[in-house]
Amino acid sequence: MKKAVKVEPEPRTAAPARRGRSFKPRYPAWLVMPSLVYIIIFFLGAMAILVAFSLATQVGFGQISFGVSFANYREVLDPLYLSIFARTMVMAFLGAALTCAVGYPVAYWMARYLTTYKMLALLLIMVPFWTSFLIRTYALKIILDPGGYLATYAGIDIMYTKYAVGVGLVYNYLPLFILPVFATLERMDWTLVEAANDLGAPPLRAFRQITLPLTLPGVVTGALLVLIPMTGEYIIPNILGGGKFEFVGNLIGDQFNAAQNQPFGSALAISLMVVLSALVAIYIIFAGKEERFGA
Amino acid sequence: MTDPRDDELNILLPIEAKPRLDHLHRKVEAAAGMRLSRREALGLGGMALLGLSLAAAGCGTSTTGGDAAAAASPAATSTLAGQPMESKLQIYNWVEYDPKSVYTGFMNLPDPKAADLKISETYFSSNDEMLAKLHAGATGYDIIVPSQNAVAQLIFEKMLMALDMALLPNLKNLQPSFRKTNYDPTGQYSVVKAYGITGFFYDTTIITEQPKTLMDFYQLLNKYVSKGRTNLMDGPEEVPVLALLALGINQNTTDPADYAKARELLMSVRKGVTTIDSSSSTTDGIAGKIMLGQGWNGDMRRIVEAQPDITAVIPEGLSEIWADNWCIPADAPHPVAAHAWINYMLEPEVAYDEMMYHQYPEPNTPALAKLPAEMRDDPLFNVPPAATEKWDYTLNVSPAVVQMRTKVFTEFKAAGG
Repeated sequence: MKKAVKVEPEPRTAAPARRGRSFKPRYPAWLVMPSLVYIIIFFLGAMAILVAFSLATQVGFGQISFGVSFANYREVLDPLYLSIFARTMVMAFLGAALTCAVGYPVAYWMARYLTTYKMLALLLIMVPFWTSFLIRTYALKIILDPGGYLATYAGIDIMYTKYAVGVGLVYNYLPLFILPVFATLERMDWTLVEAANDLGAPPLRAFRQITLPLTLPGVVTGALLVLIPMTGEYIIPNILGGGKFEFVGNLIGDQFNAAQNQPFGSALAISLMVVLSALVAIYIIFAGKEERFGA
Repeated sequence: MTDPRDDELNILLPIEAKPRLDHLHRKVEAAAGMRLSRREALGLGGMALLGLSLAAAGCGTSTTGGDAAAAASPAATSTLAGQPMESKLQIYNWVEYDPKSVYTGFMNLPDPKAADLKISETYFSSNDEMLAKLHAGATGYDIIVPSQNAVAQLIFEKMLMALDMALLPNLKNLQPSFRKTNYDPTGQYSVVKAYGITGFFYDTTIITEQPKTLMDFYQLLNKYVSKGRTNLMDGPEEVPVLALLALGINQNTTDPADYAKARELLMSVRKGVTTIDSSSSTTDGIAGKIMLGQGWNGDMRRIVEAQPDITAVIPEGLSEIWADNWCIPADAPHPVAAHAWINYMLEPEVAYDEMMYHQYPEPNTPALAKLPAEMRDDPLFNVPPAATEKWDYTLNVSPAVVQMRTKVFTEFKAAGG
């Protein structure tokens, strides 16, 4: 019986063979120069300064002796800072998972059940995103306040706890997740699900074997898109956590501002970037394998 | 001497480039504030720094210390007296620190009016922000308003102009105890604008004990945290500092053992702290949302006014005093106007207007005498000098001390759930 309902993926039409460039580019390549210059100065330049800072030594307040010293990176390995890295990653992963849990059903509903109001719903999801991040977080503070609606009428008083930080993370990054997932759900061929149903697959099974695998790339993209800024979060832990939840972002801020130790702050920033790049690399390898074996 | 080859540089470059490289070497040395061998100076790091400082200063002078020394040569005799008033004054200030009336009042003085002087002002929200901006090479400011620790640091970095006392006759109005401070021992670089102290406040309907010292405050945190929000002042310059003071230790200590003690005290009350905040704590306190918190005297006055159940305490034993100061950067483009501004701020009428506006005391004897009795006699406003006799200003003693403070602060925050 089981064999009978197994839905085989649609055989792929053979991709057209990669052709060489059969036409000459219409515009000269040097037209890209302005953009390239911009990227080199403001993107690579800033990165280079950060790297140079992280290898330098602090010799006085706001004074730096440049050189090649890894002392700042050794300092990053202090258990105190590692625990903050770990806390940040755990919070960001939980935040991204929660965002998936909240965002996926919404995106699914919008793509599957809305027709006339689909674009309106999308707009409504995006509109709050156009408001300043800070203002949205303060608005959340009003809702979560111990004297606010949620605490008064629902008895949920989570302000200045990690739960408030979690709510803030999910709320602020939700649109960034919904958008790519909605796009993949939109592009999905729903006749496949119908075919599965016709062949006897119950809805849940059809979802697990058809919809989920086909939308997984969108989900992973969306999750990465929210996970990465969450690890660099600075404002939400400060405002909703009452300033007592240290994220790596807060740590870096304290080192740059209060301690005026730019070299150590830079080393922390680079370390965070390395950790995140490693995550993305793992994803790319994973995604690449999927492709090769033909999902 | 060192190995002469240390000063030798083997790069494949035409010999004509040598003067240029020598120039680079000097620049990097000046920017780094120390002697460097050419190899070190012209290393990749030096190049990056140079690129940065050239970009920031528009190929002008390097701004990280070094060069400022030349501009800051202390004027033993008055060099500015008799110089004409400039037509511009650029102020870099805290937000909402001066009433509109003093700006118009200043521009209507005879000299600024004759020079058609225009004031423009930009703002910072913390000393760190201001210092970061100045260190990054921001120039063009005539007046800055640093707090005590930033003043000490800027003096050390030779980034402040020695004031020309001949242009500041109104200094006679300043209370003598504020003329020379532990952060500006000669009184040459700064004029106290306003000062304050750090204390604490509590809700008397919830807390029945009568805490008197900072230690009393810390000991109530764990007991009452379930009854409402408790708050500590934010930042490495407050959290460990106030813990040290509660332990009876001078906050400018350099002894790591003292910081270990402060950490111990803080960790023991970690569960009793709801928030660490000094940016919205005043508004929240006025709204009655904080039951037990630290605060600066002027903010506590406003909280007590709004919340009759709240009592504010000027701690017995040790706490900290702080002061914001008028200072002139060493490279100020309009020094005559800047001196005139400071002198004007010391006028009794102006100091009076300022106090009525920002609600913090200014140590201006004739202005204090003019105040209405409820301000003059309120210890939260006109803090009795006897209470603060043994108190010190919190200073950025050294990078090592600031790093110890920051680490205690980080550990305290990271210990949360």
